[in-house]
Amino acid sequence: MSIDARDHEDAEVFDGSGDDADDDGDNKSRVARWADDWIKHPEKAYAVMLVFLGGVLLTTSLFPLYWLFNVAMAAPGQTDIPLFPATVDLTAFVQVFQQVPFARFMFNSLFYAFTVTVFVLLVGSLAGYAFGRLEFRGKTPLLFSLLVLSFFPPATLFIPLFRAFNQQVPMLGLFTLPVELYGTPGAVVTPLSAFTMPLAIFILTTFYGQIPDGLEEAARVEGTTRIGALFRVIMPLSAPGVATAGILTFITVYTEFFFSYLMTGNSAAEWAPVVDGVLAFQTQYTVRYDLQAAASLIAIVPVAILVVVAQDKIISGLTQGALKE
Amino acid sequence: MAVEQGRPEVSSGSGGVLTRLGTWTENLSEQAYAYLLLTPAFVVLLLFAFWPLASAVRMSFFADVITGGNLGEFVAVQNYVQLLTNNNALAPAAFVDLSFQTPILEQALFMTVLFAVLSVTGETLLGFLYAMLMKAEYKGRRLVRLLIILPWAIPIVIQGMIFFLLFRPGYGLLTEPLQQIGLFSDLPLNTTFDSFVIVTVADIWKTSAFMALLILAGLESVNQDLYEVADVMGASRWQRFRYITFPLVFPVLMVAMLFRTMGALRVYGIIESTTVGCSTVPSMTCLVTQMMFGSSTLYGSAAAVSVLIAIVVGLFITVYLLFIKQSNQSLGLA
Repeated sequence: MSIDARDHEDAEVFDGSGDDADDDGDNKSRVARWADDWIKHPEKAYAVMLVFLGGVLLTTSLFPLYWLFNVAMAAPGQTDIPLFPATVDLTAFVQVFQQVPFARFMFNSLFYAFTVTVFVLLVGSLAGYAFGRLEFRGKTPLLFSLLVLSFFPPATLFIPLFRAFNQQVPMLGLFTLPVELYGTPGAVVTPLSAFTMPLAIFILTTFYGQIPDGLEEAARVEGTTRIGALFRVIMPLSAPGVATAGILTFITVYTEFFFSYLMTGNSAAEWAPVVDGVLAFQTQYTVRYDLQAAASLIAIVPVAILVVVAQDKIISGLTQGALKE
Repeated sequence: MAVEQGRPEVSSGSGGVLTRLGTWTENLSEQAYAYLLLTPAFVVLLLFAFWPLASAVRMSFFADVITGGNLGEFVAVQNYVQLLTNNNALAPAAFVDLSFQTPILEQALFMTVLFAVLSVTGETLLGFLYAMLMKAEYKGRRLVRLLIILPWAIPIVIQGMIFFLLFRPGYGLLTEPLQQIGLFSDLPLNTTFDSFVIVTVADIWKTSAFMALLILAGLESVNQDLYEVADVMGASRWQRFRYITFPLVFPVLMVAMLFRTMGALRVYGIIESTTVGCSTVPSMTCLVTQMMFGSSTLYGSAAAVSVLIAIVVGLFITVYLLFIKQSNQSLGLA
């Protein structure tokens, strides 16, 4: 620090308001200017806060995924993964498909999710129509029984179902399932349909109940049958609700791991889900974390696309009534 | 269009049965028609949900047979008594130890309830902030919405792997700083407290996205005219939140929390998939699977635990429903 510089500082201090270093004085005036600006235009302050909050939240939300991407680009066997990768190396994303039939694993999971969704929407629509639009005895107890189902952990249902599928223990004590069913999609799709059905029925019930009676009657006068009215009038008018129920079911099944994992074998040809595909890079002696990370990221893509396409439908579906009990 | 043209032919070909079925349903009473529509759903539920459930409840009254995966003789409520008095010598962890000689986090009941309270609270707070961010209007909102929802769509096993890799010593980024400030031990994935924290954080990360979605739906359904009225009356931002947004979103918030509490009380997948493992963080559902698939098969006790889980979940739901009812009354919405 030279004498000149100090003189200069002093000169500045006299210009400013206090006897601190010039930095502080400058900041104060800048802060004061911001404050003035924000008091005059509160929207601006709000926008700044929003950007700040948004930045923090998005970082929280995305960091784990970024980290996964980072791991996927690391060299095989590398430890102490740095925050920023040294090189961009995407070979792991190709290797995933070369080392195991990963596409088939993904197909299996998507097949489960799709089949369960279609089945649940069809069967759940019939039930939702009955609960939402018809009066009958035993309505409340039946609806309540659906709620009670979700009190139990899925693991509870596993042993009896496993014995029914795998050891041919008679169902309801009455009949046995065919031996061939175990190890086929049927052993996964049927229980998962039963687990996802209650929520879908609840959502559809609310939506179908909201359609004015007049619209259905008009269709009936035009000569539509009762069943026809459900599929030609009620369902299309409740499109956001049907979409919401469908997407919730699809994502639940795709992300589920208990049943699809335990009811199938380990290889892709045995209808193993994508979980097995990710775990396939883990053998008794070696674990390829980079490939597991790459495989995981690839497995997220289909559901990410679904969310992109359907986000407005889900939000409007939930808004219009799924939650208004 | 081709479909439209094709339709008459199809219906004249195979529609005979459909038409007859249609006419038959026309003549049913409303009640009979309702039962007819409910039949397919309830047949599926009966076979793949109600029957296994009933048979699990029945199993809970029979003694364990350590090998072979069979059931012993009828013992009435003995399994329950053993679990509640922590007298089951073969149980992998205490369900509840009322003498409090086992640390809280090693007792399945308290550990799970604590997990549920912490994670649902965290998810609700974070979810609310996310929802506000998704609701505000600005350029690129669609992208922000997608990025916020994304964690919800991630398979549980992959979520588990992410957090396993983040916290694995010598690999992950987060372990060392946490060890330096003395929060984490040398082997976080083998220490109950550390693992409990990891599992809770992982759960909050994934499910606050779902929470945000539900809360956003609540925010969107608030009548926008109310805000205009508030503006005219000169309400501040805080007042708008305090007197309009919060009370109107509150019912949705309760339903969302109810859903999440049910999920959190049955936590299992994330514990297993972060490779934290059930022996470190014994949640209630963990006990069920350990007893079923462990070295000794304890079907009777496992079934008893799952009945106890259902009772705990049922109690929580009753409290929620009472609370919702009461707050609706106080808000004049009932």
